Amino acid sequence: MNHTVTFTLPNTLQPLSATVPTGALLTDAAHQAGVEIGQPCGGQGRCGRCAVQVLQGKVRRRSTLRLSPEALAQGLALACQSVVEEDVAVFVPQQEKLERNLTTDRIASAVQVPEGYAFAWSQSIRRVAVTLSPPSMDDQTDDWSRLQTALRSRHKLEKVTVSLSLLRRLGERLRANDWQVSVIYNQADPSHILDVRPLEDPNAPLYAAAIDIGTTTITFWLVDLITGQVVAQAAEYNGQIARGEDVISRIIYASKNGGQEELQARVVETINHLCEIACKRVHAHPQEIIKAAIAGNSTMIHLLLGIPATSIRLSPFITTVNHPPAVAAHEIGLHFCPDAVIDCLPGVASYVGADITAGVLASGLDTTEDIALFIDVGTNGEIVLGNRDWLVACACSAGPAFEGAGVVHGMRATTGAIEEVWIDGQTYEPTVRVIGGGRPRGICGSGLIALIAEMFVTGILDKAGNLNLTVPTKRVRQGEHGSEYVVAWADETETGHDIVITRVDIDNLLRAKAAIYAGFTVLAEQVGLTLKEVQHMIIGGSFGQYLNIEKAIQIGLLPDLPWEKFKFLGNTSIKGTYLALLDAEQRTRIAEIARRMTYIELSADNTFYEAFTSALFLPHTDLSRFPSVETALVK
Amino acid sequence: MALSGIQIYKLLPQTNCKECGFPTCLAFAMKLAAKQVELSACPYVTEENKAQLAESSAPPIRLITLTGGAGKGAGGEVKAGNEVVMYRHEKTFYNKPGLFIRVQSAESVAAAEAYKVNYVGMDLTIDGFALEADSPTAMAETVQAVRAVTKRPLILISQNPEVLQAGVSQLPGEKPLLCGADASNWENMAALAKTCGCPLTVRAESIDGLADLTEKIKAKGVEDLVLDPMTAHLGKSLALYTQLRRLALKNTRSVGYPILSFACNATDELAAASQAIAKYAGFIVLSEFRPELLYALLVLRENIYTDPQKPIQVQPGIYEINAPKPESPVLVTTNFSITYFAVANEVEGAGLPAWLVVCDAEGMSVLTAWAAGKFDAERIAKAIRGFDVASKVSKKRVVLPGHVAVLSGELEAELPDWEIRVGPREAVDLPAFMKQALN
Amino acid sequence: MPIEIPKEKWTGKVRVVTLGATAAEGGTRTRVVTVGGQACMPFLHFEHPTPHPPVLAIEIKSRPPTDWSPILMETWGEAIRNPATWAAAAEAAGAEMFVLWLTLEDTPEEATQAVRAVLGASGLPLAVFGPGQAEKDNELLVAVAEAAKGERLLLGICEDKNYRTIVATALANGHLVSARSPMDVNLAKQLNILITDMGLPADRIIMDPTTGALGYGIEYGYSVMERLRLSALQGDSMTQFPMLVTVGFEAWKTKEAKVGEGVPASWGDWQQRAIDWEIGTAMTLIEAGADILVLRHPESVKRVKAAITELMTA
Repeated sequence: MNHTVTFTLPNTLQPLSATVPTGALLTDAAHQAGVEIGQPCGGQGRCGRCAVQVLQGKVRRRSTLRLSPEALAQGLALACQSVVEEDVAVFVPQQEKLERNLTTDRIASAVQVPEGYAFAWSQSIRRVAVTLSPPSMDDQTDDWSRLQTALRSRHKLEKVTVSLSLLRRLGERLRANDWQVSVIYNQADPSHILDVRPLEDPNAPLYAAAIDIGTTTITFWLVDLITGQVVAQAAEYNGQIARGEDVISRIIYASKNGGQEELQARVVETINHLCEIACKRVHAHPQEIIKAAIAGNSTMIHLLLGIPATSIRLSPFITTVNHPPAVAAHEIGLHFCPDAVIDCLPGVASYVGADITAGVLASGLDTTEDIALFIDVGTNGEIVLGNRDWLVACACSAGPAFEGAGVVHGMRATTGAIEEVWIDGQTYEPTVRVIGGGRPRGICGSGLIALIAEMFVTGILDKAGNLNLTVPTKRVRQGEHGSEYVVAWADETETGHDIVITRVDIDNLLRAKAAIYAGFTVLAEQVGLTLKEVQHMIIGGSFGQYLNIEKAIQIGLLPDLPWEKFKFLGNTSIKGTYLALLDAEQRTRIAEIARRMTYIELSADNTFYEAFTSALFLPHTDLSRFPSVETALVK
Repeated sequence: MALSGIQIYKLLPQTNCKECGFPTCLAFAMKLAAKQVELSACPYVTEENKAQLAESSAPPIRLITLTGGAGKGAGGEVKAGNEVVMYRHEKTFYNKPGLFIRVQSAESVAAAEAYKVNYVGMDLTIDGFALEADSPTAMAETVQAVRAVTKRPLILISQNPEVLQAGVSQLPGEKPLLCGADASNWENMAALAKTCGCPLTVRAESIDGLADLTEKIKAKGVEDLVLDPMTAHLGKSLALYTQLRRLALKNTRSVGYPILSFACNATDELAAASQAIAKYAGFIVLSEFRPELLYALLVLRENIYTDPQKPIQVQPGIYEINAPKPESPVLVTTNFSITYFAVANEVEGAGLPAWLVVCDAEGMSVLTAWAAGKFDAERIAKAIRGFDVASKVSKKRVVLPGHVAVLSGELEAELPDWEIRVGPREAVDLPAFMKQALN
Repeated sequence: MPIEIPKEKWTGKVRVVTLGATAAEGGTRTRVVTVGGQACMPFLHFEHPTPHPPVLAIEIKSRPPTDWSPILMETWGEAIRNPATWAAAAEAAGAEMFVLWLTLEDTPEEATQAVRAVLGASGLPLAVFGPGQAEKDNELLVAVAEAAKGERLLLGICEDKNYRTIVATALANGHLVSARSPMDVNLAKQLNILITDMGLPADRIIMDPTTGALGYGIEYGYSVMERLRLSALQGDSMTQFPMLVTVGFEAWKTKEAKVGEGVPASWGDWQQRAIDWEIGTAMTLIEAGADILVLRHPESVKRVKAAITELMTA
């Protein structure tokens, strides 16, 4: 039996509707009607952000998780968990807009072209000017043979290949440019022609792209291969977020009908959009991009290439491919030059992808004599330990708590986020610093770390993360979800509601920090080292740029090493990708890193669990691992 | 001394050729360190390094195998030795100590032989029999009588090599344990063990005495030895066995052999045999066949020799909390013990009756198991049907953990006549949920 | 050449803890029990003497149990009708102390009454355990602790959920706490840290790492106890507490102990098996470092005591 679902949207007069069979979910109906309903958890019914209001008719709610009794009384329902069994009318609230353009020119200026970069040496791509004698009734040679002959006679290119897609454009290109063109090819045996263009000056820019596909953010660097410079940068949220905030949710979503195609289209759309923004800035056309190097975790790469990622999620966690072959841009829908070489950098395992090998490349971990520890904190925490002789890596599922998810008033590090907190030890009153300087809307990762550290050292939290209800302040109270601490009162906030941190939030954050610290210890133990022997601690990921080391150590997130051993590199993945894009030697090096890196599966035995429970304490069950905190607590 | 992964790695070619089946030399080295792979899998390690690695990986306690009349394979063999740790949590204990029943009469042999008890799906049995006789003829006859009812491995006991010889000659192709050599008879015993190729025990009250004998006997070319420290006194045996294990692990080769315990001589056989199981015996002789005692010991042996590296699990099944009635709610969770305890304790602590269905999720927590595909609608449905939950309840309604709300649709399809409800994500919120939402 | 016996060079030892207070110490006990003090793994007298052998407690309930094995009910007979007679019978059966386990049905008045009755019936030290539901435990134990001020009772079950209340009342009334954690070295240690952070002197803490019975997870408890003890010997002050195990509670809830009919013949004689189950559990845990064993059957007490005596002589 079929039912009509009618969707009313804010600021839209005309409702949209869809006809669906009994048993369909509201999200299915919305998809069909062309109504956007964000599903940050990938439709698992976990995040509660797809709530809609049922105005007429009834839906069967499989789950009411995250909906309060009041919300239910108002007819709210989770779109991904509500089954259509009769005609219904639904109101879809304003969807949270993803903030675009995290574009960062201040970083752009900081990118140095690697020393000794020379186009002719470092690249295998060549651009040559070719002038052909036009065909005539006497000279009936076909266009392709004509071009081959010219390349052979003038440029000593004996063997060349061409793609069908280029052949389709070839005739028009030659004629439109009066038989004078620039031919761009990849020097090899045989050489492969990538593009035939209007004649270009030998010093004119030759564009390429370095792309980092993060689960959350995609970063795009437009690079001129001639000079090696990064000429424009753009970044924005990965368009897949609306279909799941973490890789597992995405894999699940991809396995649903049409999900794979949708996610592939979403990531490509984001890249194309970023590419447009970047190109516009230098008055270039996306079609001029001739090459791209791409890093990302293994799931992101699988989804980009349209390869099913299901086996990544399931034990024994195996990818389809760790080192994909190069593909042409048009094969995956990128609006670059159709034959542009898309080089997905090599990963190591399901949960240690090319973003990590690129990060290692950028951090130089594979060349140091001293033992160094590299961590990329994102939705997952990937950790690499080693030096020039050996490399081991692991991934710990820290969860997205440090990115603000899974925390009642958590948010990403954007305007309105509390990013630093200090608490007065006598009055228990907090002082906060808000990104952008306005009123707070929520708390981001660095703010959460600072908050827990301050609550801990002032005695609001005990070492197990319990709130001490006997502390004399009305900021500590019993809330709807158990005990909580009020960071900002309603009249101080942007939202008009109290911003609090609850016991459940604290548990989530402790679990996240414990997972990461446990990753450090297990990795070190596996190779027979202690964390004290680590000489350099390199922190990558967007997280690293704001982190207060002292507080991160106080809560036991980072090992208690002298501060000078910590080095923040920001987005190491994009930096490594850029290096690999520019230089064939670096490209070889990253393959070598992937080949050498030994992946350690943490779920294989109890060791990780042990380390995890022991880290699930402030700062750690074994306080002697944190001498600086021990000293601070005595005071 | 055992080498760490990095130490072993330094002795490997470091070429990451992958021919050993592992992606890198370091990965292979770590497997070697964990003794989960043989060095021979590496075709390129140098002879010199091979020798060094072999030395470090030689088992500190010699592996001794007794074989019975059924040859190798199920029930035909008992192994002891190859242990590498003092405490089971450091790695694991490998070879369960063999339980041998001292032969009193033909009937008791038959009963013990037939004994089989099921424990968590496994059939446990005794391992063999110990027989003693004072003359060669008596030994030969006893062996024949015992072999008429059982093929299990044997321990032959006599101070007289000729008596043992008479027993061995009745057991062609087998390797019984000869018990044994002492300071007075060791030369003849060594000669016998050498001829028949059977393992031999050495008896002495002190560690020096044991070491002295093993060295002398080894010099005669007999390497398969077992230590009999001649005590069943709880205090003495605990100290002695501990010292022997410690010495062996420190590569004192003269005592690097399994220990034979005569728990049958103890004041309290249960106490002595439990101690022997937990504290380092390789073979244990019991005085008689007594099912209740045997059951307790077999179970203890399974428990102590469980690999502690595996995730802690509870038995999948349906658990009753606070004497549930047919109308009480049905909750579902995984068999990771911590998860189970979290849920059970909250509900139990709140005094709420409930049926808790524990699914086999290979010992993972709810989210991990779900992410790894070990806790899906199919498995939950299988558990609910398999444990016949429907027969126990009047209301077919099952509460899923909030973390796997996503499974509710699939579970509806799997269990069409059940109402699927999504509970809270954290166990701590269960009591409130049960009071408010399940009425 | 004689072989040198390797001895471990431990740096730490288990704290000495005394349960019960005599009149001179502000209580009314005629005997006290002291446990702990070990400087090596259990009974390795060649390394260090064992200053205090394990202590056997007998479990009694504030009201007659409804779910106990018939074997136990028959053994104790009429004595279980009230805590005082039960305590007297338990003392006669060889108990060195009692654990009085309160039930959910008890009111604070009934609980204090039961405690007074036991204190009046015997001069042995006493542990009082709540029914194991945090709120109820708080309610009953606070009342009991106040009523028996100065007796150095061992109060349980003190868990991460309710440790604040129990520790506060122990502090205020001169008692000890039994810190219970669910079979995990880290959780045990964490609870000890939280309790000491509240200012309770370390010689007033006993830890109960929780164990399973033989066949029901004993290996987890066993290894957790071995690890806690090793950690204590290695100098970790937050694990240097004597350990209590509720052997009787665990062993007698197993099917092996509770059920006599409809079980496989290979399980052997019921009565014998049930007692063996308790003794087997007890003996295994004693060798993992148990200091106080709470038992239920008099025969177990007798045999375990004999075994301890044998273990104490080298």
